[in-house]
Parts: sequence; structure tokens; C-alpha cells
Amino acid sequence: MTETAEKVSMPQYKAALRRETRRRAHEPDINFLNITAMLDIMTIILVFLLKSLGESAGSVPQSDDLRLPTSVLRTEPSQEGVIVTVSKTQILVGDNRVLKLPSRESMVQSGVGASNKRNGPNDLYITPLGNALAKARKTDKILRQKKGKDPTISEAIIIADGTTPYRLLIEVMFTLGQNEFAKYHLMVMQSKDKG
Amino acid sequence: MAKLSAAQRGKIRRLSQPKELAPDEEGGELNIVPFLDIIVNILIFVLATVAVTFTSTIETNPPAGKSAGVRSSIPQESLNLTVLIVNEGFSLKAQGGNVAPGCLGVGSGLSIGMRGSQYDYTELTKCAAKLKGSNPAYAEENQVQISANPGIPYAIVINAIDALRTTPDGRSPLFENVTFGVSK
Repeated sequence: MTETAEKVSMPQYKAALRRETRRRAHEPDINFLNITAMLDIMTIILVFLLKSLGESAGSVPQSDDLRLPTSVLRTEPSQEGVIVTVSKTQILVGDNRVLKLPSRESMVQSGVGASNKRNGPNDLYITPLGNALAKARKTDKILRQKKGKDPTISEAIIIADGTTPYRLLIEVMFTLGQNEFAKYHLMVMQSKDKG
Repeated sequence: MAKLSAAQRGKIRRLSQPKELAPDEEGGELNIVPFLDIIVNILIFVLATVAVTFTSTIETNPPAGKSAGVRSSIPQESLNLTVLIVNEGFSLKAQGGNVAPGCLGVGSGLSIGMRGSQYDYTELTKCAAKLKGSNPAYAEENQVQISANPGIPYAIVINAIDALRTTPDGRSPLFENVTFGVSK
């Protein structure tokens, strides 16, 4: 009975409800930091880093089989040329292995061995390397023509292990020269100190 | 003014309660946080493991045979410096002939011996600077031919090239243009 007497009219009740709803309404709590934008940037940086590291000719994986010698040079590495890699155990042209190398003692005596030479052990021309370079030269010649560079010669980037005997180095360079490669870029690692 | 009844007050309290969003309604976006966590971990891993090495390249031309030295330009009066790396040290040859031990004039013998078990690159630099400075006509010459015994490691050859590159104080260039010779 008492309750009925206190009951207010519907408009008054609705007004009271709206008032109370407004009073109790509050901004939603930020219960997590929105870092999506920052992480988007980080994802882009990651992709950029992986791409640039993979494509750079200067990125030479260092391992026991291939450790570049150090130099005090501070110049930018040349990116132009066919990559010839001479590790402790093999020679590669680009990513293709062309020759498995004999032991170091044997290389000091007769380079890569008579069986891999054109005219016996004293010859400097390495036949398997020469064949691979001839193919690379054909491709490079077309590329140089398209780029508007002198197509009569090609360039080579030589990535050689620090322990490579001088004899083998000369054989590789001689073979390159015989295949119309007339400019070489010897890749070294930058170092602060001499030696 | 009329007062609200207890039932109305209860109803108002109930209805004015702020609505909680369901977990899948928060932000209205796909929850990619776990994916991004993985990406961040990969990023940190890559940055930590990739050893950034700075490389450089030494420019050179095809090697020259003993009889046919390739020299791009030979002035009338030139030093024609040739450095032969042997197991015991460096043997230098210039226009006048073999450089004597200790880099003292012309004479037979090894120009620069080993210092202990190490090649003496400091003396090689000094000797090259001395030879270049011996005649003003050699001032513009920047070409040197390097040759070595068959077993000499490539790293030693590179160190010798570095030693011949600049004067001992590192300010003036000496022989920056390198060609390789074939030792028989």
C-alpha cells in the first residue's frame, strides 16, 4: 500500500533512469595498450632487414671453410661482377660448385691438380672453372649490353678464404683472365688494425 | 516531489549498470597480438644472431707473367716496384735492382726479414715510402706488382697490399694500384 503511494509516474521514472545511467556511465577501462601500430612498424623493419641482408653481395657467411682476410680498407664493396668463391674445400661460381679442392699441401705443389688443368700440372688454367666461367661470361655479356656497359670485358668478385695458397689464387685469376674477365674485386673484411 | 519506490530504485540500479563488452567485442579487431609477439621475437633473434660484417673490395687486374708485366702506364723514369713475398720475408725489386737488406740501397739478399715469426709490415711500409721518396719522378707512381711463393696464404698477401697502400703516418698514398705477378 505504502509502495503504491510512493510510486512515481512513468516519465519521472524514465528521467530518473536516464540520470542514473548517465551518472554511472564511465569511459571504458583501457585494460591493454594498443601496440599494433608499433608492431606493424617492427614487422616492416624485420622484412626490410631480412631482404637487404640476403641481397647484399657484401654479406658473406663466415665459417671455418671460408673466412675472409682482413684489410684496413674502408671503401664500399663493389657489387658488380660474377661471384667466384674459393673456400678451403671448393670453388664456386655464383652458387654452383665447380670444383672440389685437394689438400692444401697438394695445392701448394701443383694447384688444383693435373687432372683439372688444360695442359698438365704446371698450367694455370683450371678447366672446370673455365667452363663455368665461360657460361657466366655469356650471361654477363648480355647483361652488360643491356645495362649499357662495356660488353668486351666482365668483372669478377673474388671471395677467397684467408688461407688460400697464392698458387691457387693465381690459377683462379688466370682462368678468369682467359675467359674475358678483366677486372677483379678481391673481397676482404674491414678491420681497424693492420695484419 | 514523489519518491521512487524500492522496486523502481532496484530496477534503475539494474538497468543503469554499464554494459561489459564480451572479450571478442573489445576493440572490434582481430586479435593479432600472439602473431606479433612471434614477429618481435624473430626480429630480436635475427638482430642478435646476424653478425654485421663490413666488407670492402681491392680492385685489381689479371695477373702478369714474369716476362710480360702488365703496367697500365710506364713513365720514362719509374720505380717499377715489385714485392716478392717469400717464406722468410719480403724481397723488393725496383728500377735499380734488388733492394738490399734493411732497405739500404741496392744489393743481394732479403730486403725485409721476419720479425720473430711474423712478417714485418711496418718495415715494408717504411721501405716503400723511402723508395718512393728517393726521386721526385716517382711521386705520381702508384702501381706495385705483388708476387709470392706458391704456399703463401692469401691473408699475408692482403696484409702486404695494406702495408704498401699508405705512408707510415697513413696520410699520403703510396702504392694503391696492385697487380699480381706469377712466380715460377
